[in-house]
Amino acid sequence: MITTDQVKIAAAQYLAEKWDTPVTVSDVEKIFGGASRETYKLTLEVDGETRGVILRRDPPSSLIDTERHLEYGAYDRIYPTDIPVPEPLFLENSTDFLEQPFSIMAAIENPMSDVAPLSEEQKQKIGKQKYNLLGCLAAKDPLALKFDEIMTVPDIASTAREQLAYWQGVINDDEIHPQPIAQAAIRWLAANLPPPAQKISIVHGDYRTGNFLFNDQAQITAILDWEMCHLGDPLEDLAWSLDPLWSGEDLELAGRLIPHGQAIQIWCEASGLSCNEQALKWWRIFVSVKAVAIWISSSENFEQGEGKDSILAMAGWVMTDRQNRILLDYFSPEVMS
Amino acid sequence: MIPHTDGALRMLSQRLMTQLLPDLKSLYSMSDGALIGLLINAIADETAEGIQRRLDDIAEMKLIFIAGEALLSSRDKEVISAELSSYRLADVNDQHDALTRILISLHQKTEDKEIEALNQSIWAYLRRHSQRHKITAVP
Repeated sequence: MITTDQVKIAAAQYLAEKWDTPVTVSDVEKIFGGASRETYKLTLEVDGETRGVILRRDPPSSLIDTERHLEYGAYDRIYPTDIPVPEPLFLENSTDFLEQPFSIMAAIENPMSDVAPLSEEQKQKIGKQKYNLLGCLAAKDPLALKFDEIMTVPDIASTAREQLAYWQGVINDDEIHPQPIAQAAIRWLAANLPPPAQKISIVHGDYRTGNFLFNDQAQITAILDWEMCHLGDPLEDLAWSLDPLWSGEDLELAGRLIPHGQAIQIWCEASGLSCNEQALKWWRIFVSVKAVAIWISSSENFEQGEGKDSILAMAGWVMTDRQNRILLDYFSPEVMS
Repeated sequence: MIPHTDGALRMLSQRLMTQLLPDLKSLYSMSDGALIGLLINAIADETAEGIQRRLDDIAEMKLIFIAGEALLSSRDKEVISAELSSYRLADVNDQHDALTRILISLHQKTEDKEIEALNQSIWAYLRRHSQRHKITAVP
């Protein structure tokens, strides 16, 4: 366990060395909900100016077992493009400063992420941007952005099968109790693989409401949380964003913003890709299985004592429960017939 | 005195959320504490109903196994016929898990052999199971 005072002292020393100028950390605040990394917002005084940075420190355990260099590398490659992300500043792999590796990014000014208080007009505006940006991301050439330097380029014909095998492995390795619903879904997915991807795209991996920031003008200012970024079928991101888990009470709205049909249409226009109904159905069931894998993985971490954050227990228990019910809805006789 | 554990947990959760959390200074601690409070409520429900819910599952799974007896191995039948060693939650959980593993295997066999009625009765059980275990304490 590290205190905010330790973060304050270590960050000031680290940044002073990096920038070769005195740095004072005037404020540090731990941010709740950063389930994969401990997240701190730091206010700095540097060369007579005040600026904010975000420090993300590896915890002993996290919701998502990811390599930090993949996440940082994704920010680094996306930052120069038209997809808004925070400016990545430093990646520190040593444990000399904060006992765990960490990364530092520029903070976004006046960030908001909760869409619940927004007007219908603001939700429409943000929803359109959200799916336009996702379509733009899908349209990009991952090789031109040098993503192949930091992650594997999958075979276009086998990316769905490889993703399924990976997350099936996570469930088999981490389940504390047998998962009859997820296992039935996995068997269905294996027997009904989708057609090959239209292209290999950059897949954000956790593209949902709550993982982007916007300002008081309802403009999206940053897409966050790229720790599950990989290359694969762009329909995966679209399907993940449409999962009922992110819709709250209103299942008709994608991520509590705009109707599903509108979201898909905007995505198709922005990406230049089509949305095959059967393929999207496969990916929607797949992302629910992937989510179960993530939730039970966090549950395993919590039970093993590797992580003690309440959000791990919440994900492992409450979200697994909800996600299983989502899967059951997909396999109800009415839907499957 | 025999404490009513679920009621005690709910009272402690309420005290945590309404009296202790407002005095905390950091937003992080307040959010963490609120989540812990909600989880304590869910644990209270589990304390009150968890064993009975699992026993209901076990009874229903055994009915399915009777219908699918021809597809079960002798080892499966041994596990299914084993007596529950105690009503401690850990022991009930162990039996529940053992039977669920057999159910998963049976479910797959119904798909492979296209035994639709039994397949649908397993799906129906999974829906009842899911409804029985639905967590309502956390919004």
